[in-house]
Amino acid sequence: MYYRYMIVAILLLLLGVLGIVLNRGHLIIMLMSIELILLAASFLFLINSMITDTLIEQVFTIMVLTVAAAESSIGLAIMVAYYRIKGTIAIKSLNWLRG
Amino acid sequence: MYILVLTVPLLGALVSGLFGRKIGEKGAGIFTSGCLIISLSWSLLIFYETTLNFSTTYIKLWRWLDSDLVTAYFGLQFDSLTAVMLIVVTSISTLVHIFSTAYMDGDPHVPRFMSYLSLFTFFMILLVTSDNYPQLFIGWEGVGLCSYLLINFWLTRIEANKAAIKAMLVNRVGDIGFVLAMLAIWDQFGCLDFASVFNIVALAPSDNTTLICLFLFIGAVGKSAQLGLHTWLPDAMEGPTPVSALIHAATMVTAGVFLLIRSSPLLEQAPMALMVVTIVGSLTAFMAATIGLVQNDLKKVIAYSTCSQLGYMVMACGLSQYSISLFHLMNHAFFKALLFLSAGSVIHALADEQDMRKMGGLIRSIPFTYTMIVIGSLSLMGFPYLTGFYSKDLILELAYDQYYLAFAHWLGVFSALLTAAYSLRLIYLTFISNTNAKKEVFSQAHEGSWNLTLPLILLALGSIFVGYLTKEIIWSFQITLSPIIPTSIKLMPVIFSLFGAGTAVVLYHYSSRIFNAPTSPVGLAGYTFLYSAWQFNYIINHFLVQNVWRLGHLITFRVLDKGVLELIGPKGISQFMIRLTQEISNLQSGLVYNYALMIL
Repeated sequence: MYYRYMIVAILLLLLGVLGIVLNRGHLIIMLMSIELILLAASFLFLINSMITDTLIEQVFTIMVLTVAAAESSIGLAIMVAYYRIKGTIAIKSLNWLRG
Repeated sequence: MYILVLTVPLLGALVSGLFGRKIGEKGAGIFTSGCLIISLSWSLLIFYETTLNFSTTYIKLWRWLDSDLVTAYFGLQFDSLTAVMLIVVTSISTLVHIFSTAYMDGDPHVPRFMSYLSLFTFFMILLVTSDNYPQLFIGWEGVGLCSYLLINFWLTRIEANKAAIKAMLVNRVGDIGFVLAMLAIWDQFGCLDFASVFNIVALAPSDNTTLICLFLFIGAVGKSAQLGLHTWLPDAMEGPTPVSALIHAATMVTAGVFLLIRSSPLLEQAPMALMVVTIVGSLTAFMAATIGLVQNDLKKVIAYSTCSQLGYMVMACGLSQYSISLFHLMNHAFFKALLFLSAGSVIHALADEQDMRKMGGLIRSIPFTYTMIVIGSLSLMGFPYLTGFYSKDLILELAYDQYYLAFAHWLGVFSALLTAAYSLRLIYLTFISNTNAKKEVFSQAHEGSWNLTLPLILLALGSIFVGYLTKEIIWSFQITLSPIIPTSIKLMPVIFSLFGAGTAVVLYHYSSRIFNAPTSPVGLAGYTFLYSAWQFNYIINHFLVQNVWRLGHLITFRVLDKGVLELIGPKGISQFMIRLTQEISNLQSGLVYNYALMIL
């Protein structure tokens, strides 16, 4: 009975992944996609919490939310610093380090 | 003290070579000559001890090659053969040393020259005194090396360098035969010293003996300049004249004949090999004599005569008359050294002119040298009661006795005729005919100083008396019954020689048409054929050397070096790996979404 919720969560996760891989535009979209992945993961935790009827996943979800908040703030900070130097935040222009 | 005969020339070579700057030109000459005189006196004593008193001496010095499979001692063996060779080598070498002090006077590298000469003598003495094959091989290679050093003594001349390299390489072909013979002997008998091998071979003859003897003969062919590998000998005339005397009279070329004489117990077990030896020897005698007829270089005429006389010696070995071969070797050493040193005297008198066509009329300005060269030539022709007569005519008589190889006899007799002809031609063109020399050179022609003429006098005495004095001694080495042959055959070599000599004089003195002969088509073809030495050089260069050269370029350079090693060898593999890693590292494009894709 929780399958459809799980499918939604997995679709959200895939959407985030595809957002990272296919996105050729701005870094902000990539950051939003990462947020989406984290939210999808939190959603899965919550569904599992409902299935197994334990609290530990909900604790985890809160911690993930905290980590996600910290991560997006640091990400945004890096992006701002990057914008100051380069004048753009396009991912295509991010290829200075080659093998 | 027997070892002294070996060490003293080495001492002379070392002192003169290493401290030549300290002892000076004169000092080097005196020191090395003095060392050689000591060596000569000891070899006379050794001759007295071992040959006249019949006390063969063996000296085992130390263990040299020592393993499970082969044991070779470093040992010396003084028997009659060694004693005769020692006398030949040391006496000729001493006289050549004394001659060189006068002939090389004014050359900036006299100490080096004397050092090489002494080293040459040392290696030759090592060769003749050794009691096993590997030690003999040291001397064998040593004289080859010293001939290389001496032939290009004037190392700034390209011709001298080429001649020296040729001498070394052509000799090396024979040396390979010798090495193979040593391996075969070791495989067959398990030991390499003469005493053991010769005792075993008489007891247990085997099929491989023929093979061993043929390999040994290849070695002798290279060293003694027999048919096929003789091309280095005339070119070796590029060296200074005393070197030619030393190489072609006493030391180097006699080593091949010495090897055959030393290996006589082996050869006796292989009749097939003996036949090959006879055929090659007689052909060489004939071929070299014909070529000698038309050469224009004074020294090359004598060089081809050396080749021819060596053919006689090898032929005598092939007829199983080893002591007669040794006898001829000894006699030949004396009169050939005399001829070469006299030629050196002529060249010295004419300011280094070697072409006979630019000589003539020297009988008035250098009569002494003329006398010497006449004595040498008469001895070479086998004029009765001179040294050459005793051995050369004996060889021909013995060849007649071997009726199954009658053609060797006829080739030999005909070579005797040719020998007389070219000797007289040499004398006539150089001394008797009207002069063609430049005026300033001709008017300056003079005899050399005392140390140039003294060796000539001693060698002339040797050329006259050695054959008579030593014939009984050397004949006694081998119990051979003299063949019973008709008197006409006995007289034939002498008659043929006199006929050849007379013809040469008549042709050159009374007939100017002989100078026109090379202009007719047949005469031109024949003259070219003989003058270019039967085209041996051309054939070898065209069919052998060039093909090997091309093979070296195609196989080793193009296929191996540029092909295998660069495509699939180390270089190819390393290049492939570099390209692969570059492609792998190109995957890291720097674009973040590609990294993300790869992570997932």
